[in-house]
Amino acid sequence: MVWILLAIAFFTSISGKPVDGVLMLIVAVGLAWDAGRRALRHPEAEDAPVPSRTAARPGGRRRFVVIALLAGGVVFAGVVGSFSRYSWPATAGILGLGTVVVLIGWHGPVRARPDGGRLPVAGTLAWVVVLVTGCLWELYALLQQPSLTTDSYAHPTISTLTDPLLATSPGRSVLLLAWVALGWYLVER
Amino acid sequence: MTWHGLTIAGYLLVVAGIVVLQLLATKTAVPVPSFGELLTRAMRSRTGRVGVLVAWAWIGLHFFAR
Repeated sequence: MVWILLAIAFFTSISGKPVDGVLMLIVAVGLAWDAGRRALRHPEAEDAPVPSRTAARPGGRRRFVVIALLAGGVVFAGVVGSFSRYSWPATAGILGLGTVVVLIGWHGPVRARPDGGRLPVAGTLAWVVVLVTGCLWELYALLQQPSLTTDSYAHPTISTLTDPLLATSPGRSVLLLAWVALGWYLVER
Repeated sequence: MTWHGLTIAGYLLVVAGIVVLQLLATKTAVPVPSFGELLTRAMRSRTGRVGVLVAWAWIGLHFFAR
């Protein structure tokens, strides 16, 4: 994983996205440091399952947390979505929230969840085939562009297809809200 | 069909595949895990967990940040 992140850091930096590259580099170093530290303390548990940190919250408190996070997410999406794409305020907002969520989720799910057990092999393989096909299709479209930074009408990437939606402030806010909701969903996994 | 249409059809086919697998997982007895179960399994280890969270952060940076 560390090598993959380092490769992503390198390629995103040379393709004109230095902020992405720096974030990947920081996470790669952090992951290597964390793995080394845990291996020194507990050599047998180098990549053991991560434990949940808290028991499930009581219903009333949980409802309050959900409402507060929902309100915060809506405000974040509205404010950051009002800035134009690739501007420094939008970059700061995304970078700030992204860092906070990665740090919160680093040590385990924020509430207790069932383990889930083993997954059926054939069904899991079906998911892998569909998701890898999607990645390869996107990569094919990207490589058919005149260059990595020039869009192609004939071979649009997902980024190119979402450009019209992200050109408007409401469109950006809606997608940001979906991104925030996905982050929330992931830290609870 | 033009290359533009064909490329979009490819994306739609992948989305259809995701929807079909999710429906099979949640609405039938076919042994297919749901997307949530897949994520939970992938995020059981520290490496997988951080990898998925960083992928999420990268999506936000890619679409909105400079």
